[in-house]
Amino acid sequence: MKCKNKNKVISYSKARKQYLKRIKKDKILVLFWQIALFVLFLGVWQLLADNGVIDPFFFSSPSRIVNTIIDLGRDGNLWIHIWTSLYETIIGFIIATILGSFIAILLWWSEKLRRIMEPYLIILNSLPKIALGPMIIFWVGSGTWATVVMCVLICIVITTISMLNAFISCDSDKILLMKSMHANKFQILFKLILPNSIPEFVSVLKINVGMSWVGTIMGEYLSSKAGLGYLINYGSQILKLDIVMASITLLCILAALMYFLVSPLEKKYKR
Amino acid sequence: MKSLLEFKNVKYFYQTKESEINALEDITFSIYEKDFTSIVGPSGCGKTTILSLTAGLLTASEGEIILNGQPITKNDGRIGYMFQRDHLFEWRSIWQNIILGLEVQKKHKDPEKLAFAEQLLKKYDLYNFKNKKPRQLSGGMRQRVALIRTLVLEPELLLLDEPFSALDFQTRLKVCDDVYDIIKSEQKTALLVTHDISEALSMSDKIIILTKRPAKVKEVVEISFQGQTPLAKREDKEFGKYFEMIWRNLV
Repeated sequence: MKCKNKNKVISYSKARKQYLKRIKKDKILVLFWQIALFVLFLGVWQLLADNGVIDPFFFSSPSRIVNTIIDLGRDGNLWIHIWTSLYETIIGFIIATILGSFIAILLWWSEKLRRIMEPYLIILNSLPKIALGPMIIFWVGSGTWATVVMCVLICIVITTISMLNAFISCDSDKILLMKSMHANKFQILFKLILPNSIPEFVSVLKINVGMSWVGTIMGEYLSSKAGLGYLINYGSQILKLDIVMASITLLCILAALMYFLVSPLEKKYKR
Repeated sequence: MKSLLEFKNVKYFYQTKESEINALEDITFSIYEKDFTSIVGPSGCGKTTILSLTAGLLTASEGEIILNGQPITKNDGRIGYMFQRDHLFEWRSIWQNIILGLEVQKKHKDPEKLAFAEQLLKKYDLYNFKNKKPRQLSGGMRQRVALIRTLVLEPELLLLDEPFSALDFQTRLKVCDDVYDIIKSEQKTALLVTHDISEALSMSDKIIILTKRPAKVKEVVEISFQGQTPLAKREDKEFGKYFEMIWRNLV
């Protein structure tokens, strides 16, 4: 394909050249405004804070956030907080995705089980999982595991429901085709249902990146001795809102990084 | 001629929560080896039910279905099924699609079977597309791949459930010719279900006409034309007469 394009470069028509030029221009324009908006936002914020229009004590400012991050980084604790939140999120994300998909497979396998579990799934899905917070602390103690459990609880139900929907929506003629080849249920699952659901699986991964961060921060609010959620909580209690804002900034960066790790998968498997 | 498939007084009732639907009422017919037989009938008369029963995807409520002297069992592997759409798996290459049935039946390491699959691909001009994904092929080619996918399993009987209805008219005539050619040169017995009378006429040696639900066999028509290919048959002067006769039987 690439080779072909190279050979054709010379023969592009005028209209084609203009079209390509316009697309390139649009792309640059969008990127420009994305960056401009970011710079503008930070600039105005900084300006307003410097001139006392907004109180930097409550609203912080970009420079104060950067300084806070540098200070926190210098005494070494920052890395512990980042690392704690990061691994809690990743562990929660992995457990929820695997376990949720596995439950979805079981529910796909047995229609009876699916019908029995349906009302429970609906209730669990609409239950605000944060309400279980106090119970989690009693069950698994405070700290890392409480956070991981919270993270799993938040992601798992939606994972199960999304994957189950993907499994069930498989074309029934495709299943008939497998059956006409004398396939057993395992083969239908592994050769048809699972590969057929990969695009949905990728969107579940994307959703779970966001949800698992929600779970982690919630879990850390509830009870923790480290983590960015802990840092936010701590900052607000000692009225150092710079710490809160610095933690939120770091959270943004981490969530974005995780999202960019997952999104190439989407391009690859998009239909 | 030896009869390959026999329906003997087959009845089928669909069960729904509201009621029992009498879909097939006493169906009896025979299909001979290497014959191309079509079933036509008013829509919703239970044509597809007959195919599902033959493939062992459904079990008859009453009566017997015999293939090659042996009754049909559940998910009987002796039958190849072609659907309205090709149902190629997008995540598999053409080659992987073709050996899907072999994989399912754990024969994908059998060099003889693989050689047969390869030979079919070569014979029907698809070998160069072996490593392509289904979406890179045209509708007609995809339907050919779907046919080869079933032929690789060397089915005793081929079931075709309106296999051209998803194609546009031009492609349809072409694919119809292709499929007919493949089936005849592989010497397969085929049972086609369609609502398109001219399609049935252009391909079949025999047409079974069903009544509306509950379905019975209304008429069995033997077809013979001068022409050889489906397209040539469509131009035969007898074509119109047959068409009218079948049309009258349908309404």
